[in-house]
Amino acid sequence: MNDIFKYRAPTSRAELFGLLASHGEGAKILAGGTDLLVDIRNGLAHPELVINLKKVEEFSGLTWSQSEGLIIGPLTTVNDVLHDARVRESYRLLADCALTIASHQLRNRATVIGNIVHASPGADMAPGLLCLGAQVRIASQRGQREVPLKDFFTGVKRTVLGHDEIVEAITVPPGTARSRGSYRKLKRIDGHDLALVSVAVTNTDGAVRVGIGSAAPTPLLVEGLTDEDPADAVVAAARGAARPIDDLRCSKEYREYMIEVFVRRSFEEVR
Amino acid sequence: MWMSVEVNGHIYEREVAEHWTLLRFLREDLELTGTKDGCSAGECGACTVMLNGEAVNSCMVLAAEVDGATIETIESEAVNGELSEIQAAFARNYAVQCGYCTAGMVMSVRELLRLNPKPTVAEIKEGIEGNLCRCTGYQQIIEAVLDVSGQITDETRGGLKYV
Repeated sequence: MNDIFKYRAPTSRAELFGLLASHGEGAKILAGGTDLLVDIRNGLAHPELVINLKKVEEFSGLTWSQSEGLIIGPLTTVNDVLHDARVRESYRLLADCALTIASHQLRNRATVIGNIVHASPGADMAPGLLCLGAQVRIASQRGQREVPLKDFFTGVKRTVLGHDEIVEAITVPPGTARSRGSYRKLKRIDGHDLALVSVAVTNTDGAVRVGIGSAAPTPLLVEGLTDEDPADAVVAAARGAARPIDDLRCSKEYREYMIEVFVRRSFEEVR
Repeated sequence: MWMSVEVNGHIYEREVAEHWTLLRFLREDLELTGTKDGCSAGECGACTVMLNGEAVNSCMVLAAEVDGATIETIESEAVNGELSEIQAAFARNYAVQCGYCTAGMVMSVRELLRLNPKPTVAEIKEGIEGNLCRCTGYQQIIEAVLDVSGQITDETRGGLKYV
């Protein structure tokens, strides 16, 4: 890490939003840091100012409300989700996604919101959160707005988030609690690796949704399916949405093939 | 920035460069060089330390972030020159060859046993998946963890295939 940058750790939302508004593109947010510090080291990010979120007193961790369901805060780590009793009981799929992220040490730091905001096509939390109908609550000095997660991603590592905005919460509605869910992630090795493809399938009272990672510039959601559809139709819908590429990890054809295999297996599991 | 941090029971008050990682601070400022720099990118686990009681990759933490925190490094394992139980189990089971991964590996095993005092072989593999070792092939490390958690006997040691 050779770049020199300034560092601030605001203690209130107001101070944080002020810093973001006045520094614009030059400021980068540090929550877990597991993507940002790698990007800085690799010369992909050149912040003038790094803003640590961890001292903001108003930010809460993982909570639950009757109306909003599961509320994931800016500082909720992947291991917080993985080990939360309520998640394991009602949103088991999210724990299954969380377990496939990197290693234990990284999961102790990496945040769920960071995984989403970084907007990698292969973000491990994305397929599960998409299937469960997650909403993204965005905040800045200008106010708050809410965007469905399926409309949040705009391209490879691009989102609708402005330079002065942060994601203050990702909420998972109570309506999808206890959905049947299944997550499959294809890796080159058993341990710590990025997804070649990943597939989540949920069944919420008969409505089937398919989330797919590493198969397009953004994580994908396929909706409008039911558990009475033939498996071939569900596979065809997923296959039609996916537009994977060749890269250093594997070929486009292999990805297409494995998406079909995973969607079929996961659909059979949850139908 | 000026900061105060507790490392292995000592309080250090230091001016720290804002772009330094915790790893660099530990090695170059505090001269605690037991913690190793492998990949600097959160892949290899050689730099694993305990931050407020949880294992983290110290290359993935800014030094400035640990203002007010408590850190434990591999230097906190042996007390008065006496190996810790985990270190002794590593030595007894030949779980060390070149030694470069060992500091991080021991810290990850400390974390694993804190959360799960009697891990199965599968749980051990999951617990150390963030630590790469290029010498041992992991088998001896897994045996060391089974040993220190009281799950191996002289009869079974060296005779099992885990990998």
